[in-house]
Amino acid sequence: MRVTTMLPDMQYDMQQSQQNLATALQQVSTGLRVNQPSDDPSASANMVKSQAESANVDQYTKNVSTLVSQMQTADSAISSVVTELNSAITDGTAGASGTDTAAQRQGIATQVAGILTTVVAQANSTYSGSYIFGGSETSSPPFVAASTTYTSASTTLVPTTTTLTPGSVTTIGDATTGQTWSYTAGASNTVGDLVTAINAAASSGKISSNITASASTGQLSITTGSSTEGIAVTSNDAALGSMSATAGTSVANAYAYVGNSDVNSVQVGDSMTVATNVPGSTLFTSGTNVIGSLSKLITALQSGTTSDISTATTAVSTASSNLDEQRIPLDNTITQLDSQESYLSQETITLTSQQTALVGISTATAATNLSQAELDNEAVLAAAAKVMPQTLLDYLK
Amino acid sequence: MSLNTSLSIAVQSLSAASGELQVTNNNIANANTTGYTRQVAVLQEVAPTADGTISSGNGVELTGYQSIRDEVLQSQINQETTTQSGANAELSSLNSIEPTFTTSTNDIGTEMSAVFSSISSLSTDATNSTSRQAVLTAGQNLATAFNTASSTLTTQQSGLNTQVTQDVDQINELSTQIAALNPQIAVLKASGQDGGTLEDQQNALVLKLSALTNVSETQTQTGMMVTTGSGTTLVQGSQSYSLQTATGSDGTTVKVVDQSGTDITSTLTGGDLGGTIQTRDTTIPGLLTQLNTLANQFAGAINTAQESGTDQNGTKGAALYSSGSTTDTTITAANITMATTDPAKIAASSDGSAGGTGNLTNLSAVQTTTLASGETPGDAYASLVYQVGSLTSNANSESTATTASLKQLNTQLSSVSGVSIDEESANLITYQTAYEAAARVVSTIQGLFTTLISMGTAAAE
Repeated sequence: MRVTTMLPDMQYDMQQSQQNLATALQQVSTGLRVNQPSDDPSASANMVKSQAESANVDQYTKNVSTLVSQMQTADSAISSVVTELNSAITDGTAGASGTDTAAQRQGIATQVAGILTTVVAQANSTYSGSYIFGGSETSSPPFVAASTTYTSASTTLVPTTTTLTPGSVTTIGDATTGQTWSYTAGASNTVGDLVTAINAAASSGKISSNITASASTGQLSITTGSSTEGIAVTSNDAALGSMSATAGTSVANAYAYVGNSDVNSVQVGDSMTVATNVPGSTLFTSGTNVIGSLSKLITALQSGTTSDISTATTAVSTASSNLDEQRIPLDNTITQLDSQESYLSQETITLTSQQTALVGISTATAATNLSQAELDNEAVLAAAAKVMPQTLLDYLK
Repeated sequence: MSLNTSLSIAVQSLSAASGELQVTNNNIANANTTGYTRQVAVLQEVAPTADGTISSGNGVELTGYQSIRDEVLQSQINQETTTQSGANAELSSLNSIEPTFTTSTNDIGTEMSAVFSSISSLSTDATNSTSRQAVLTAGQNLATAFNTASSTLTTQQSGLNTQVTQDVDQINELSTQIAALNPQIAVLKASGQDGGTLEDQQNALVLKLSALTNVSETQTQTGMMVTTGSGTTLVQGSQSYSLQTATGSDGTTVKVVDQSGTDITSTLTGGDLGGTIQTRDTTIPGLLTQLNTLANQFAGAINTAQESGTDQNGTKGAALYSSGSTTDTTITAANITMATTDPAKIAASSDGSAGGTGNLTNLSAVQTTTLASGETPGDAYASLVYQVGSLTSNANSESTATTASLKQLNTQLSSVSGVSIDEESANLITYQTAYEAAARVVSTIQGLFTTLISMGTAAAE
């Protein structure tokens, strides 16, 4: 073959070698083998998926740490309640002994009333501004001092035509029975439908049968009709306006639950979801009778016989053991979250090493590649320098 | 045989040697000229003279100069150049698109993860207004990432219209120049001479043309005929046929039409023009379709999930994403935007309670649920990244491969047609010696004439 000039070959080789050198240099400086999708399309696509997983794992980890704090708050509130209940049992036992005067019993009753206030305050505990024992009603206190009558802010309601906001919820907490009932408005439901539903709930035993509702005067009014039975009502319905207790109708030592029985759940793993709360009704009213039993103990101390006091004290003691039982799921969840936290941190490491394998390059490999590329480049340049200047003219004299 | 005959032969030798020196000189002068084909002097023995039984040679004759060509190699180089330019055109566009789909702090994949993270974060406390706002912000960031990706693709696409117009202008210019050379070369050929420099020029122009689009060239009686790969005539004899550009029905796409007004856009392949059209009309629309499908189906899935819950005000959830227009409500990557700026509108609850998180499960599930396209949103985006990476990588490989094979072909062509300085230097010495020898013959004959003339003078005395 007739060789005319080696210049294009040399230029091509130099170009190639410099390209390799640039690639090796980029790999060393970034630590990455894949810097853009075209470097390795399939690794890049897998990287997108892996990073989405990483983002999920990061978020699960954050969720776990938020939940752990929140649940520890709940747990310590329950522990305080247990301590308070033990004091109440001691007080009740003292009151039931029959050696105290009526005045002394009144004193004990006042003490137990103080305990009830503390228990209610614990049951209304918040974590970063949200009530933790209200089910999914986290924006207002779930345990409210009960009154006999509640009325709506709006005074212009027409039962047949005033429509409720679809999705809005009206809740009635019954302090006497510890029951809570709520009504979620559907499309085109009217105030009249709500009144009918409340009265039906009362007659079917979902709330105390004494409770009646009416809106005939333009204002929704819900009442127990008994000075010793209290209720609490809340509503987020714009048509009704806020529900408030009628002044002077409050019932002493009675508290109603106006939260709901929802259990929220949070995802803390691709296939792991944990319940984040135990509704207050489960812990303190219908589930355990903690608040109800304390109320009854106060009444017994104030006006009952020693036998009444003894019965009421036993009820408080039962409530306390019920509470111990109901808090178990919460404690289990805290344990679960602890182990999930270590699993997630392991998962983060796995994903990181997976990503390094996909797009990264080890420092040793990158450094070796770089020195190899440098060596190649030097060789190409040296060869070019040797061959390029040579022509026959150098030898012709 | 007379001294005069010998002198005449010597003069012819001188002439032949200077012809050879001339061609060597020209070769050396054009050693670095692009498209130059080395020439050789064509020498021929003059027919012998018969004198009785003796036949004697009559010296040498310079019949002309010939360029050493290899048409087949030249044609291969043209074709390879077409392939290379096409790949380069595609690569250049894809290189501009690629960064948009490279993992960064604000690419679609990252922003999409952020949306799901913010939803998950909200599930730990649905009434937290900061967390609610974070969902809206992440949602808008994702919408913006879609908008940016879409606009990168469409900007690139419309920029290519200018490229088409420029390429067509260049093709027309080159066609005119090639056609102008045809009659000149024909004149030379008719007189039995080599096309030489003019053919070099014509070949260089065809090579430039090949870089713009796929052309095929054939030699005819009237010179080189050039047609596009699909048969549209560009040059025939001294006549060139220019291509025209016209704006398509959408008002922006530039079409290419031939002399008779037929739209030949889709038939143009290879070269810068072919690569540009391929990128503009196939590659980018393909990516845009995938991107729009993803944006549309993702927004649809989120909106559907919203509708199955209630917002913080106890109202049934409304769409989070919209097209931002009341006339065209189809959501695309270009128009996707948040339908609300009110954090309370996120339908976290499934039962109307303000702190409920029941419906966040539905919103989160969008991440793991397959869309109508058959993939989850994350996988659909990963496919898109793969597509962009693979298209770029393929164009890059094709460009690299053709560069290597072009280098090989050029080495081969240079082996036939290139000028070797060493070879020319050696030739120079050979021709110099030949010239000196011929000159010596002239001087010898001159000496003989002097002897002859002085012989006559001595006899007269």
